[in-house]
Order: sequence, then C-alpha cells, then structure tokens
Amino acid sequence: MKEYLISGVEVITKQSHIDFQTKNQWMFSGLTFNVSEKDFLFDVKDVAIFRVIDGNKVLFCPYSGADQKFIELILNGSVAGAVLHQQQKLPFHGDSFVYKNKGVIICGCSGSGKSAVTAAFCKNGAQLISDDISPISFRDMDIFLEPLKTKMKLWDDSIKELDISNECLKRIRPALNKYYVPHQTDREKHQLDRLIILGVHNQPDYRTQKLFEFEKYNALRSQIYRKLYLKGMPETEKKYFKQLLQIAQSIDVTMVWRPKICKIHETMDFIKETLAL
Amino acid sequence: MKNIDWLVSYPKSGNTWFRVFLANYQSSLNHPVSLDKILSAPVAGNTLVFEDIIALDPFELTGDEADLYRPELYKSISAEKSGDTLFRKVHDAYILNADNIPIFPASVSKEAVYFIRNPMDVCVSFANHDADKIDKKITFLLDEKAYLAGKKSGQLRQTMMSWKSHVQSWKNQTEIPVLFVRYEDMIQKPEETFGAIIRFLDLEFDILRLRRAITFSNFKLLQEMEQKNGFKERPQKCQHFFWKGKIGNYRDYLSKDQIDRIVEYNYDTMKEFGYIDESGALTV
Repeated sequence: MKEYLISGVEVITKQSHIDFQTKNQWMFSGLTFNVSEKDFLFDVKDVAIFRVIDGNKVLFCPYSGADQKFIELILNGSVAGAVLHQQQKLPFHGDSFVYKNKGVIICGCSGSGKSAVTAAFCKNGAQLISDDISPISFRDMDIFLEPLKTKMKLWDDSIKELDISNECLKRIRPALNKYYVPHQTDREKHQLDRLIILGVHNQPDYRTQKLFEFEKYNALRSQIYRKLYLKGMPETEKKYFKQLLQIAQSIDVTMVWRPKICKIHETMDFIKETLAL
Repeated sequence: MKNIDWLVSYPKSGNTWFRVFLANYQSSLNHPVSLDKILSAPVAGNTLVFEDIIALDPFELTGDEADLYRPELYKSISAEKSGDTLFRKVHDAYILNADNIPIFPASVSKEAVYFIRNPMDVCVSFANHDADKIDKKITFLLDEKAYLAGKKSGQLRQTMMSWKSHVQSWKNQTEIPVLFVRYEDMIQKPEETFGAIIRFLDLEFDILRLRRAITFSNFKLLQEMEQKNGFKERPQKCQHFFWKGKIGNYRDYLSKDQIDRIVEYNYDTMKEFGYIDESGALTV
C-alpha cells in the first residue's frame, strides 16, 4: 500500500501466516480478534488475517480469492482503529470537519447518516478532516481533531440527493452500491469545538438534548470506535478515561435525533441552527 | 449452553404482542409495563450488537457475508450471559448460511416459539405497517427470494422467502424444538394459548400472573399506550403499530383476485394450520 491513511504506519503484505503465529498472552479474545496493549490480531473469514504491532506496523495476509477492495476497507476501518488505539489517539466513530472555523465531530452508529450530513456540510463550505473514524489528540488543556488521509464513503441514494456526479466514482466493493467520494481533506489538526451524536427515531420532527455530567461522559464513551478492543488494553482505557473527562468538561456534547425518513439538507440545516454553527 | 429462546414469526403475526405479554408476565408490577420494556427481548438482527462483537461494519458486508458470522455471534451472546435465559425476536426463515451452517445454532438454542397468522390478515397488516400498497405486499408474501432490512436499515438482512416457505423452514428443521402458536388462538383462547407458551418455555407457571399479563397486554390498552407515549418499533410512515389486530380483517381490504392469489400459492400450509378446512373453505 503506497500511502496509509495514518501517517508513519508501515503496511506490509505477507504471503504466509508465519508472522501471525504468536505465543503472546492475549489480554482479551473476541470472536474475530485477539488484543493486548501493543498487539492485535484480526482474522476475517475468507478475506485476510491482519496484525497490528506497536501502533506503527500493519501486516496482512490475504486468503485465496479475497476481495481486494474489502481488504482495503478493513485496513482503513477496523485495523486503523487498532492502530489508533495502540497510538492512544482516542478514535471516535464519527466524521469530523471544520465549518466556519469551528472543529466539529458528528458521531453515530453505522447507518445513522453521519457521512451524508458531513458531505452536505462540505458542499456548504466545510473542510473535511476525516470520515467515519475521528481521532483526538491533546495538548495541555487543548483538544484537537487529528487529520487522516481519509476517503468519504456514501450510498448511491445519498450521492443522488446531494447532487454529486457519480460518473467517476469507484464502488467501495463490487457488490455494494456505496462509493468513495473524493473530498479535499484538511491535513492540519484543528481544535475540537463541538461534538454531536446523531441518532435516528421514528418521529417526524428533529429533537436535541444537550448532555451533562455522567450522561455526557457515558455518551462520549459509547462513541469510541471499536471500543471492545479496550477490553484487552487496560492502560489505554485508563488514559482514555481521563481524556473523556477532559472532553466532557470542555466541549459541548449534543444528541440530535433525526427522523428516519428525512432530507440530508434538512438535517444539516437543523444542526446548523440548533448549534448556532 | 442452550439459553436462547427464539421468538419467531413472519412480520405482523403477534410476535411483538407476545413480547409485551412476556414483559408483563416477568414483571411484578401491578400496572402494565411500558412498551419500551419489550426491548428485553431485542431483535436478533441488531446491527449495533453485530458491529460491536464482530468488529466489522455490517453495512460493508453483503447479507450472505453477514450470515456467515451470525452463528458465532449468537454463541458469543449466549456465552456472555450463560446464567440467563435470553429472548430474541426473529423474522428470518430457518436457513443455512453459505458455510452450510444454520444461522441459529442448536448448541445455544433452548427452544423457539413460532407465531403464525392467517397470511391474508398478515398481508393487510403488513401493508399498513409499511404504508405500502397491498398488491406489493402480496408479491412479497409469494416471493421465494424475499428478504427484509439490510443495507442501512439498522437491522441485518433477514431472509424471509415466501410466507409458506417461512413457516415450513421452521417446521421442517429438527435442530430446535418449536411450538407453533396461532395468532387467532392468542385472541380467542388467551389463557390456554399464552399458558401453553409459558409452560413450553419452562417458565414458572403462575395462573394469577398469567391472567394479569393477559389483561396488561390487551390490544386496546396497547393502542392507548402507543397513542399516548409512542412506540420505538413503529416505522415512521406507519400511523399505528398496534392497528386493528382483529381476525379476518382482510375481508374489508382484499379483492377476490387478491385472496385467490394468496390462497392458491399457500393452500397446503394454510390447510395444515387450520386456515382452510377439510372441504377447502376458508375458516377465517
């Protein structure tokens, strides 16, 4: 891989599984992965086996006949999550951008529409920082959005609704109607000002709730990308605990519920108005 | 450990109603539990749980790929709460994944209750639920390749097949003990029918709790609760999740041609479950 989305990480393709055999005592074993503080092994059925070491090296060995596009997705998704956790750069499951000089993250579960709303912001002058995974760094009392060399992924219906030409877009996988949509990303870190958690409900209106104290901390914790890895990374989890408290003390966190059926621009406008962006 | 009870049905066949009953049966309150309490029997195809445990974005997998992980997913969920009996709502047909492994593994499945309802009433209620045209729903009920959810719906893709194949898939499998329960019997003989489920599920049987839970899950009461506080499982376009719930409601909505289409395709299964009598007449 010529250039990985996280700077300074070496990504190496292996032809055999030898480098994936380890006598490590794993701190936690999930269904598809094993994890300890500085080592991560991820076995994706029929696709590839991945290993992340010391936050700076990714090895992978594809299974025969594996979908190369899928390997790329996993490297830039779940594997990147392991790299960031090993680097202790608290990764949120969200899209980040700069809009009117404010650093914003829109978090939410897969399918909540965070990428589509972020794409709408970008069409209205926002500068994308990262899609789907948004790592955070700290310097004294300041909290920063860390840029990734990310590619935005959007479903066909969102592309159509946002009036983006799909002529030259590449599918993320041949079997899926989801596409990579090029966006100029900001390569500079930017201060984090607002964090939004986007949810979906069955009501026709939009609702918001500003979060406080423990509710705020718990909501932030629930938005950590691949937080199950932390079961095998107690030191990192301890560090995150302090960092989440710092975010909770200094950043506004707002829940926004959008109707399940709604227009992307309506959601963007609601967020802009509600948060005075 | 066998600690998962699957609450299985084709959509709009009494599954949610039973989950409300169950939440009330398990409650010691002397008033009806809120509709949100049925989340203690969540949907088996929940994508949040899938992503959390499998560590892959389910929306970047095909439905067939996601199915490869489901047996292990349920084993993991079972092991996590090995001391408890877990209830999971299921709309999937009983199918094998591409590795030829049943999606619902027998090794963690205690039993399954299959809620069955007259397919013509299912059709009408399903059309209301999705604010969809009745003809479209008939086509869905007769489609052997039908599936629900997937993509970015918030639930994993669920293979349905046709109504009759859905019923037969659960009937013909021999891995998990299944109790078939007719929706019509839940309405007409509630004490006997709900009582039989409680006994089948090996829950402590208490006639007073049973009667109380039946009263607290009365259809009219559920309609009032939905009207007053809403219901999370109601689709946005649907006016009322708990709509009419009555037997033979299809007669007010289906044309003769539409009835013929459904009956012709599902005849044997409808007869097997008493929706057509020996003489070939509709019983409901």
